[in-house]
Amino acid sequence: MKDPYEILGVARTASAEELQKAYRKLAKKLHPDLNPGNAEAEEKFKEIAGAYDLVGDAEKRKRFDRGEIDAAGTERPRQSYYKDYASTDQDHPYADNSGFADFMESEDAFAELLRRSARAQANRRGQDLEFRLPIEFIESIAGANKRLTLPDGRTLDVTIPPGIVEGQVLRLRGKGAPGSGAGGFGDALIEVEIRPDRSFTREGDDIYLELPVSLSEAVLGGRIKVPTPTGAVTMTVPRNSNTGTILRLRGKGAPRHAGGHGDQFVKLKVVLPKAPNPELEAFVSSWESGKAYNPRDEVA
Amino acid sequence: MKLSKQEFLSRSGLGEETLNAWIEEEWLIPHRSSVEMSFSDIDIARARLIRDLKMDFGVNDAGVGVVLNLLDQLHGLRRTLMELRHAGRIISE
Repeated sequence: MKDPYEILGVARTASAEELQKAYRKLAKKLHPDLNPGNAEAEEKFKEIAGAYDLVGDAEKRKRFDRGEIDAAGTERPRQSYYKDYASTDQDHPYADNSGFADFMESEDAFAELLRRSARAQANRRGQDLEFRLPIEFIESIAGANKRLTLPDGRTLDVTIPPGIVEGQVLRLRGKGAPGSGAGGFGDALIEVEIRPDRSFTREGDDIYLELPVSLSEAVLGGRIKVPTPTGAVTMTVPRNSNTGTILRLRGKGAPRHAGGHGDQFVKLKVVLPKAPNPELEAFVSSWESGKAYNPRDEVA
Repeated sequence: MKLSKQEFLSRSGLGEETLNAWIEEEWLIPHRSSVEMSFSDIDIARARLIRDLKMDFGVNDAGVGVVLNLLDQLHGLRRTLMELRHAGRIISE
């Protein structure tokens, strides 16, 4: 890091007034807003502003002179200047094209280019507007039609395609902000946010569901109704199906990009009756082989 | 980003009286709806520039108006140059 006195071009013994004068003289030449096209000036300005932040402050200057602090890290962080906004965007109240209005009035090719450019600026397409749309998990798999109310009171009808994933962005052409002149409307970009479901989860194109079954369904097997995001279907539970048994419903998952569907996997969970059941208790206490089986034998 | 007058004052560090005077001079032109005025990032940056001009460079009030007017013309030119460069690229492609 260079010496701040050297950067400002003053002696170490300079008075506060001399320092300020030196800083102002350099800043007038190098201020980024007075040199909008000059990246070098901006770099230099950062340096002198940092130097002045250090030795322009009486307290900091004393500590620097005593060697308690050094000049490292004093460079002023990049801030945004007026030029960063004024040159790039013409949609602000300070835009002023009078500096070359006379050029546009002549008849040569350059004037024609200028006029064309002014027309292009006048016919600029509207901005894209971004929105977030929360939907239910089931809607993300099955698809849905949603209506979004915008901050300005307009409503947008959004068709959610089946199988949409979290964070996917839907583009509605021409539903953004109005443009200027013949520029047309921008687009509405709608980012989908999927609310988690109490029962279903999704991994890739497959859907997972934990499904409670009764003791008799688990022991004897049978046909049961299983919810899927696109409606209930019937599934066969094989005899002696334990908690943790996973059954597959082919093609009942999310739609695949390439066509077809993923699968739904159903994990069974055996659930006893809520209230104690005397009949069941009587049976189990007389069920000798059931007592002999210890499932924890398999646990090391 | 839209800022209310209060938010603008706290972010720019200006006093309300100063802000009113700058608006009066048309150095700052807030967006006005029927009920209130609002500001955006460009107004913050412009206020910082005005402050630099007045405090650091010792430009007086008349000078600030002149500088801002010339700068805005310069930015109009730069913007148009950029547009022309863009248009030139399209033509040459």
